[in-house]
Amino acid sequence: MDLDLRRADYSLSDDQEALQAAFETFFERECPATRVRSAEPFGFDEELWQRLAGMRAVAMGVPESGGGDGAGLEELILVAEEVGRRVAPVPVIEAVVAARLLAAVPAGADTLDAVLRGSVIPTIALHAGGGDQLVPGGSVARAAIALVGDDLVLAERDRPPEQVANQGHAPIAWWDLGGSDVERRTLATGREGRDLFEQAGREWRILTSAALIGMSRAVLDLGVQHARDRVAFGAPIGTFQAVSHSLVDVAMSVDTGRRLVRKATWYQQHEPGVHRHLVPMAYFYAQEAAVEATTVAVHVLGGVGFTVESDAQLYFRRAKGWTLVAGDPQRELGALADQLFGPAQVVGA
Amino acid sequence: MDFSIIELDDETARFRDEVREFCKRYITAEVLDAEYRDGNGFDLELHMALGERGWILPTWAKEDGGAGLTGLKASILALELEAHHAPSITKGTTTLVLPAVMRWGTDELKAEVVPGVARGDIRFCLGYTEPDSGSDVAAARTRAFRDGDEWVIDGQKMFTTGAQNCQYSFLLTRTNPDAAKHKGLTMFLCPLDHAEIQAIRTLGGERTNMVFYDGVRIPDRYRLGPVDQGWMVLLGPLNAEHAMADSAPPVTLDSPGGMYGISAVFALEAAVAWAATPGPDGRRPIDDPLVRHRLARHALDVEMATIATGPAGRIISSEVAIRVGADLIDMVGPRGLLPRGEKGTVEDGWIEHSHRFAQGTATYGGTTDVFRNIIAERVLGLPRSAPPTKSPS
Ligand SMILES: Cc1cc2nc3c(=O)[nH]c(=O)nc-3n(C[C@H](O)[C@H](O)[C@H](O)COP(=O)(O)OP(=O)(O)OC[C@H]3O[C@@H](n4cnc5c(N)ncnc54)[C@H](O)[C@@H]3O)c2cc1C
Repeated sequence: MDLDLRRADYSLSDDQEALQAAFETFFERECPATRVRSAEPFGFDEELWQRLAGMRAVAMGVPESGGGDGAGLEELILVAEEVGRRVAPVPVIEAVVAARLLAAVPAGADTLDAVLRGSVIPTIALHAGGGDQLVPGGSVARAAIALVGDDLVLAERDRPPEQVANQGHAPIAWWDLGGSDVERRTLATGREGRDLFEQAGREWRILTSAALIGMSRAVLDLGVQHARDRVAFGAPIGTFQAVSHSLVDVAMSVDTGRRLVRKATWYQQHEPGVHRHLVPMAYFYAQEAAVEATTVAVHVLGGVGFTVESDAQLYFRRAKGWTLVAGDPQRELGALADQLFGPAQVVGA
Repeated sequence: MDFSIIELDDETARFRDEVREFCKRYITAEVLDAEYRDGNGFDLELHMALGERGWILPTWAKEDGGAGLTGLKASILALELEAHHAPSITKGTTTLVLPAVMRWGTDELKAEVVPGVARGDIRFCLGYTEPDSGSDVAAARTRAFRDGDEWVIDGQKMFTTGAQNCQYSFLLTRTNPDAAKHKGLTMFLCPLDHAEIQAIRTLGGERTNMVFYDGVRIPDRYRLGPVDQGWMVLLGPLNAEHAMADSAPPVTLDSPGGMYGISAVFALEAAVAWAATPGPDGRRPIDDPLVRHRLARHALDVEMATIATGPAGRIISSEVAIRVGADLIDMVGPRGLLPRGEKGTVEDGWIEHSHRFAQGTATYGGTTDVFRNIIAERVLGLPRSAPPTKSPS
């Protein structure tokens, strides 16, 4: 057994801490739960989006050569965690992933300019193939990047398609990538196109993982506060281990999940060819943790937790609502297995 | 964030080779067989050989019996010993107690024991648990009475692991039964020559012990810290033991949760090797979707056990080991039940062993429930789970 001697440093640099604090403050001020509610059912708040542009939330992730600030995934996950913590009604994850993709190909330059000017919100169609699919951020985006056949394609529309009602009140919409109302341009072909598309999918999963950790943390705080305050049988309910230990399990998932996300992020940014299983791993773990966290919070809050008045249900809806667009999360374990064990061999085929 | 490869300079690379040679020489198949059979958590020849190189206290200065190793070299040493399955429980308890001896022992006591600890011929075990007290450590009833310059110890300890390998027990006693629970305790480094040791066998194959102290007389120099303030003395090693579960070692290398997660790592490696080998029908189990999906899930869990830290690391690594062990044994089928050395056993019996062994990790060193209480109170700031103060009527 040969041991790979590597550092295991999960900490943030001073700059990263400052960035995190800035976005924490921003979302705390700009995105209270009332704002999330008032953006329902459409899942988009135009004014918040504008203010977020003022924070350069999308531009920061674009390389300097493309007119951005050149931040890496290490920084973007800090923003994404705060987005998730407030379940902010803005498609920032999709937009930043798509903008980075546009910056990677010369043919994307014009659209990227429009994105940085704020006139276009771009997104990514997560499933390879040319037909109709539900696209995250698709009801506010005018540009979607997709893999159609072997081509990486930019599909543009004059105006976004109608949102479809959904459990997570997310801004998702059907995009018919072969339809007559989209104008298509090829950004890259063959191997290059497929690789870029795969990389974008991995980036989307990493940032979404970070958002899910943020969601879990936020509902944990709601549950802990209630467990301290609520009295039953003459004692705060937090003294009952059935309550406290389920919150402890959530706290462990949040802390450990965050470490996993950081590790996956670091590899994707610095050594993308190594330990590729970490991205599907982080994504699967984070979505599972968020489902558990929101379930526990709704339960700890008692009957009130189950009402639409409770903030816990805002998170409960989005734990699935922000992820299922990518498909059944259990499939991530398949991707993970392919990376770790090599592709399955079909006997007799 | 930094997960980059640590490039070893020539000297450090040579050190690693030296450690590997050492492991090959001293951690032989016979040593591993004996450990598997007897569960001693200790091998005398290996331990003395470590001592000879200053590797029992590797970061201590050479003149103090250590090897003056840098943190990186000490981590390499620890990781290689772990990877080679070195029996290490008694080394662990010895080095856990040593700081308390350094902090509270008189010069005379230190001169008596410390050089021997470094050499390897003096070893310590932990004497906290009793038949009637475990999680509630401070409820210990073993009595110590003062008699002039001596103390007389009366009582029984349970689960004093490694006592058969040790010369001294880090012993928790009650000196004042009238004081509040935490205020009447005193710690000793009690010589074991007059205590009676009886073996207890465990499900995981480890040996631990009952130890009887029947009027054992020891001089006052074996007392550690002030009379009736043993709780304060105990807290150092107790907290260190709790932190031992911390899977982030000093030189920031990922490691599988110390002794808690390691059985899951070995069992998973064994299962992956098994799954990649074609069976009698010519098919590899890894190509069976049912196997593949579960192995992927277990790989995820083992990764979590490796990267979790602090009290969460203690809980997660232990519970992952239990969960993964129970499913891997299912996966390999009836052969999963066959132990090391049996005809048809899978991958040296690691999976069979892991399923039994993992269970104990949730109990010793403070149970997973006790650790959940610790996180609830100290991390989440929840009110303490209140034990009933009156007996229910
Ligand atoms: C293999 C092995 C080696 C050991 N080695 C040593 C050693 O070297 N030295 C030593 O001193 N001890 C040792 N121990 C003892 C070990 O530390 C105790 O077994 C452990 O702390 C639990 O104590 P107990 O067995 O008395 O169980 P109890 O404390 O009686 O607990 C019984 C059950 O109740 C639960 N419980 C107890 N209190 C609470 C609470 N407040 N909240 C929720 N649940 C609770 C526990 O989690 C457990 O499930 C060893 C044990 C084993 C099995």
